[in-house]
Amino acid sequence: MKVLFLQPPMGGWVTWGRHIAINVNHAQLAANLREWYPEIEIKVLDCRALRMDEKQMIDAIKEIEPNLIYMGDALQTTGVAAIHPRYKNAANLIKKVLPKTLVCVGGFFYGANAEKMLKETPEFDFVISGETEVTMPELAKELSKKDPNIPSIKGLAYRENGIVKLTEYRPLIKNLDDLPLPAYDLFPMEKYIGFNYVKHYVETYHSRGCPNGCRFCVGWTNYDPRGNRDWTCYRFRSGKRVVDELELLERRFGVKWAVMMDEDFNVNRKRIEELIEEMKRRKLKIKFFFMGRAPYFLRDKDLLKELREVGFICGLFGMEAVDEETLEKINKGIRIDEVEEAVKAFRENNIMSVVTWMVGFPDDDEWRIKYRFERLDKIDPDMAALQIMTPLPGIPMYEELKSYIVDNDLRKWDFQHAVVRTKYLSKEDLGRLAAWANREFYSQPGRVQRILYHKKYHPFCRLAARSYIETTEAHEQAAIKNEIFV
Amino acid sequence: MMQRAVHITPENLLKSVQFKEGDLAKIAIISGQPQRVFMALEKLKNPIRNFSAFGYTFWTGKYKDKRVTVGNGGLYAPDSALITELLCVAGVDYLIRLGSCGGMREDIKIGDYVLAESALRGDGVTKYYVSDGFIPYADKELSNKLEEVFKKRVHRGIVWTTDALLRETKELVNNAISKGAIAVDMVTSPFLTIAQIYKKKATAILVVSDNLITGEIGFSSIRFFDAEKRMIDRAFDLIGVIDE
Repeated sequence: MKVLFLQPPMGGWVTWGRHIAINVNHAQLAANLREWYPEIEIKVLDCRALRMDEKQMIDAIKEIEPNLIYMGDALQTTGVAAIHPRYKNAANLIKKVLPKTLVCVGGFFYGANAEKMLKETPEFDFVISGETEVTMPELAKELSKKDPNIPSIKGLAYRENGIVKLTEYRPLIKNLDDLPLPAYDLFPMEKYIGFNYVKHYVETYHSRGCPNGCRFCVGWTNYDPRGNRDWTCYRFRSGKRVVDELELLERRFGVKWAVMMDEDFNVNRKRIEELIEEMKRRKLKIKFFFMGRAPYFLRDKDLLKELREVGFICGLFGMEAVDEETLEKINKGIRIDEVEEAVKAFRENNIMSVVTWMVGFPDDDEWRIKYRFERLDKIDPDMAALQIMTPLPGIPMYEELKSYIVDNDLRKWDFQHAVVRTKYLSKEDLGRLAAWANREFYSQPGRVQRILYHKKYHPFCRLAARSYIETTEAHEQAAIKNEIFV
Repeated sequence: MMQRAVHITPENLLKSVQFKEGDLAKIAIISGQPQRVFMALEKLKNPIRNFSAFGYTFWTGKYKDKRVTVGNGGLYAPDSALITELLCVAGVDYLIRLGSCGGMREDIKIGDYVLAESALRGDGVTKYYVSDGFIPYADKELSNKLEEVFKKRVHRGIVWTTDALLRETKELVNNAISKGAIAVDMVTSPFLTIAQIYKKKATAILVVSDNLITGEIGFSSIRFFDAEKRMIDRAFDLIGVIDE
């Protein structure tokens, strides 16, 4: 049995420039497979990292001759739902030359929509429903048997005589520390690059879910809707285990910057304290970034100085909206003064701050969007990551938002194209305002110079900022002219 | 009728902000854009605030054992004239202007630098100071030193100063080019004129933000930002080679 983890040729978020990250979902699944079912042969083909085009991809796959190909992501940052057309296209090309090779997809976007996506995509043979970590290795194991019993695998959409079926719900993994560390050794680690400039770059994923459960969050789409609000069931690797991974990355692979893609890293103070202690004890030099929630950063304000000392150079927290009514509607669970205070605390500790915010709520008009922008501008984070509302099926707000969807071309469902209208704005108006806001933010005298040149910020952060500033025009092409980047 | 010769003199203004002799350094680095001022300010050791006049603030501190004043020297011709005159009267001997300009030759790219040798007076303020035929020049020795510290290509030549950014018409631009201008800005003419009247050494280096011939616009381009940052660094290198 030969399993291939395939990352087909594709781009990425326009604002991140040439950004080629490891597929951390693949690395975790490969590790699980290797540990649990060592008899299964594992191959990795990262066409993005190796700069292979479709023809080169097919030639390479023909040579490998895999029995099962897996494509999928844990992270929304690969391209939100715009990954799907890429995976579908790759599967289509594969099926033409290797019709017996089975194709499985899973993870982000597919997790909440397994049955539907399998029905709509004849090129796929399996779609994993919910978490992939156990289901995918079990599928590979089952397929290696002479007479596989596919319906026995929980959390899987499959076809039986042409009819799509969904197996029983797969319960969540209880303890992430039980999983092996991702199999980084199987991936072309030297090829990864962050935000156009940062070499020796990696993305990691140490926890699952977020206890808050914002209603717009696309993180929900990793999970089987039959579960009990699985997205809000927060599980994490211990601080010690996180540092084990960072140590491995630094010492074995020479990684210098790890961007931790956990949707909410700082839920647990004890874990942060443990991370600081372990980083100090092991004297690691690797720098890291993580995303968290502003109230937690304020709870742990006294830890920021030490965090900076052990390598926390940049962090992100969400604002999304500014008025209480919208914040309540989306269940954001924060106050704007907390965002403001967190930005200030970051700056005092020489940590670059990134704040996410959104446009495209149903009630948005030009005044509301510009008011939101003004508030953000006043808070003055170092960087602002703007997301245009992208109502993926599987998020709690989907039913409320689906009547506003005006563009079903999933290539544009990447947060950077407008695919919805609002009550007052057309999709075009929304795209125009998003481009306006992004440009306005990244052309502000003083801010630009601070984030590009101020030595208080680590060079990696300044390079990431450079990528955002350099891509403002390209962002406009996405938001206004529908140019495709993922 | 008014009886005084002049309503407000530079001395009056300086007195109103409690200026005392020696507050400012002999060397001043001035710029119109606030962000350049703050980037320059970061290079000073223990800067102290001197004064604010009409919203233009100055600080003086040390850079490698030399006292240096930095501040906002005006964005346009009228405020540049005012601030330049204040600095001259306040005892500054070396004035280094960090500005921006539009290139008027195809080979002058965004992010390049123009070092003003003299200015073509298209502004409205210098006529209150000098007669029509007056030509303002930069200090040659100071400009030579500035050119030496710039490792990147510097274009030296005449800078046309205009008051009307949105009236840089084909006729006016080509007329300026025919008189030898290689770049356009909104400050250099009064800056050099007033420094010359007060017999001060002045030089103006301008980072190129756009090009009038090719139509290229780069006010928010990374090339422009990077060049702006380098310009500030190099200006401070110049301080090291000035013999006060």
